[in-house]
Amino acid sequence: MARESASVALNERLSPYQKLYLLLIAGFILGPFIPLIIQSFAFKWAWPDLLPGTWWLEQREKSVLPLAWDYVISPYSQVWEATLNTVFIGCVVTLIALVICLPAARVLARENFRGKPAFEFFLSMPLIVPEAAIGIALLMIFINIGLAGTYIGIIIVHLIPTIPYMIRMLTAVYQGLGRDFEEQAMILGASRWQILRMVTLPMLLPGVVAGALFTFLVSTNIFLLTFFMGQGKIVTLPTLLFSKISGGTLDASAAGITLVVTMPGIILLLITERFIKEEAFGKGFGN
Amino acid sequence: MRKTLLSLSVIGSLMAGVAIAQDADAFRDGFIAGDISWEDVQARAKEEGQVNLYYWGGSDKINIWMDSVAVPALAAEGVTLNPVRITGTKDAVDLVLAEKGSGKGLGEGSVDAIWVNGENFATLKRQDALMGAFADKLPNSANIEWNPEDPRALLNLRDFGVETNASEMPWSGQQYVCAVNTTRVPADQVPGTFAELMNYLEANPGKFTYVKPPHFIGNTFVQATVYALNPEGNSAVPFQSSIDELGAAELARLITPGMEYLKALEPHLLGAGGNARYPEDPKALDGLFLNGEIDFSCQFGLYGVATGLRDGTYPEGAEQFIFPEGNMIKNKNYLVIPGNAPNPAAAMVMANYMASVDSQATKLEIAGMPPGIDPWKLSADDAAKLDAASPGLVGVTQADLDANTAPDTNATLVDVIEATWLEYIERDSSESIASIVETAVANLN
Repeated sequence: MARESASVALNERLSPYQKLYLLLIAGFILGPFIPLIIQSFAFKWAWPDLLPGTWWLEQREKSVLPLAWDYVISPYSQVWEATLNTVFIGCVVTLIALVICLPAARVLARENFRGKPAFEFFLSMPLIVPEAAIGIALLMIFINIGLAGTYIGIIIVHLIPTIPYMIRMLTAVYQGLGRDFEEQAMILGASRWQILRMVTLPMLLPGVVAGALFTFLVSTNIFLLTFFMGQGKIVTLPTLLFSKISGGTLDASAAGITLVVTMPGIILLLITERFIKEEAFGKGFGN
Repeated sequence: MRKTLLSLSVIGSLMAGVAIAQDADAFRDGFIAGDISWEDVQARAKEEGQVNLYYWGGSDKINIWMDSVAVPALAAEGVTLNPVRITGTKDAVDLVLAEKGSGKGLGEGSVDAIWVNGENFATLKRQDALMGAFADKLPNSANIEWNPEDPRALLNLRDFGVETNASEMPWSGQQYVCAVNTTRVPADQVPGTFAELMNYLEANPGKFTYVKPPHFIGNTFVQATVYALNPEGNSAVPFQSSIDELGAAELARLITPGMEYLKALEPHLLGAGGNARYPEDPKALDGLFLNGEIDFSCQFGLYGVATGLRDGTYPEGAEQFIFPEGNMIKNKNYLVIPGNAPNPAAAMVMANYMASVDSQATKLEIAGMPPGIDPWKLSADDAAKLDAASPGLVGVTQADLDANTAPDTNATLVDVIEATWLEYIERDSSESIASIVETAVANLN
C-alpha cells in the first residue's frame, strides 16, 4: 500500500523530461533482454526479419535433437550442474570472506598501527593487478600442489578478488558504528559474547548483507580465474556462457543460457533489496 | 618433530608419485611393444575407472552425442567418460604442457585425450608430450588404413604434413567445402576458380568474406588460395615439404601470387569500400551467411549444409559447390593421448570405442561429423550402415568432391603462411612478401 501511494506521488512529481529520462535508462537496462528473449524461442531468425521466420515450437516435433529451451533444460546443456556449482562456490566464498574480513575490518576501522596505509594499499592490490597475471602464476603453483581442477582451488582464487571488496564495505560499516554502543552495553554488564550477538552484529547486519551480496555476485561472475583453476572440469555459469557465446553468434540455446545466467543475481537482488532497504535506510543507525 | 613428519609425508607423496609414474610407464611400454593383451588393457581401464576427454564444446549436436551415446557406451565397458567441453583446443594443449613443465608424467596429469587438429598435434609432438604409438594397436584400428603403400592411407599417416606415428587416432575426416545461397546467386554465376570469384565480387561488392587467420578455418582458405595460384602450377605438391627442406626464399616465391590475390580481393570483401570484415570463427561466418550478408561461405563441413538446414543455421536454398576446382583441402582430425594422461588404459579403451563402426555411425547421424574410419576397410554391412547414417551432401556428389581433393599444408609452413597473411594483409605491411616470409621463418626458430 505504502509503495503504491509513493509511486503515484512520484509520478506526479516528475516532469515529462524526467520521465523520458527514466524511460531511457530503463530501455538501456532492459532493452538488450528483448532480442535475447525472442532469440531464445527462435529456430531461424535471419536479417532483415523483425521477428524469427521460423519459431522453435514449429520445429520442435520435427527435430531429432532437443532445440532451444529443450536443450537448455536438458542435462546436455550442463546448465543445472553449472548453476549448482556457481551457487555452491559463491556461498562458500562469501562465508569464508566474511570470517576473514569481519575481524580485519574491525581492526582497520578502529585501530591505528604502523604501516596501516601501506597495508590498506596492499589489500586492494588484487583489484589493480590483472586477473590473468595472478591466474597463470597461481595455476602453475596449484598444479604442483594438486589443487588445480578442484573446488578448493576455485574457492581460494575466488577469495582473491572478493576480499578487497568485502573488507572495504565492512570497514566503512565499522567506522560508522563507533564504539559507543558496545561500551554502553559493557557498562550495563553485558558479556563479550552478548555484545557481539546482541549489539555489534545486529548493527553491522545491513553492511554484512550488502558485503555478502556483493561478494556473492562478484564470485558468480568471475570467468578467467574459474576457467584457469577449473581446467574446464568444473563448469560454472560464466564459463558455460563463455563457451557458448565465444562463437560470436547467438543461437537459441545460447540465448536461453544467457537468460539463465542472469537469474541468480536478479533473484538474490530481489530477496535482499527489501531487506537492505528496510534495515539500513529505513531504520537507519541508532534509531 | 612436526618438520620431520612433514618432510616424511612430502617424501612419501613424492615416492607414491614416482611409483605411479613407473607403473604407468611400464604399462605404456608393454602395450606399445605388444606384450600386453587387450584384455589386460580393459582390466586396467576398469581399475582406472574414468577418462577425461577434452574437446571443443561449441556444438550442441556434438555435446548431445557425447552425453547421450558415448558416455553410456563407455559405461558399459566399465569406464566413466568425463567429456570436458573447452572453447579452444589450445587451452587443453597448454594445460598438458603446463603440467609437463611441472614434472607430471604418465598417470599424473589431468588430460587423458584431446580432440586436435594438425597444428595442435604438431605442438604436442614438438614438445615431446605424446604418449606414443597406440592407435594402430587398438582392436578397432582394423577399420583404419595404415598401409603406407596405399596412397589413401596418407590422411592417417600424416597430419598437416607431420607424421602421426600412430600417436593419435583418426576421429573424423573433413573436407573444405564452400556453400552458396542459391536464392541470391544464379547458377551460372557460381564461381569455380579464384578469378571467377574476383569477377563476381567486382559485380557484387562485399558479398563474400572468409574466417580470419590465425583460426585454422581461415588458414585453410589462405592455403587453398596459395595452392590454386602456385606459379609452378602443381598446386599442393611443394607445400608438403617442411620449411627446412623448402627454404624461405622458395616459399615466398610460391605464395606471392596467392598473397597478392588476397590483397587485391580485400577491397571487395564484406564491408567493401571501408574496412574489410573478417569473422573470427566459423560460427560467426554461419551467422553472416544465414543473414544473407555474404553469398558464399567456406569452411570444413562435408555435411555442414545438410545439418545446418536441419537445425536452422543455414538459409533455405543453401547448396554446396566445387570451389576452388582441384584444391579442396581434405584432412582428418584426431584424438591424441598426451604423455601425462592420468588414465592411459582407459584413454585407449575410449579411443578404441571412438574408432568403432557404431560410434562413428551414430556420431555421423546425430552430430553430422563425417567418419574418420575408412569405408574400404569395413565389411559391406558396416559400410552400408555408415552410408545410411550420413545426413547427405547438398548440390554436389561424392565423386565431384573426390575429384577435387587437395592435401593439407605442412605444419611448419602453416605458421609461416599465417604470419605472412597477418603481416601483409591485416597489418598492411609495405615490406615485400620475401622479407616478411624471411622474418617469419627466423621468428619460428
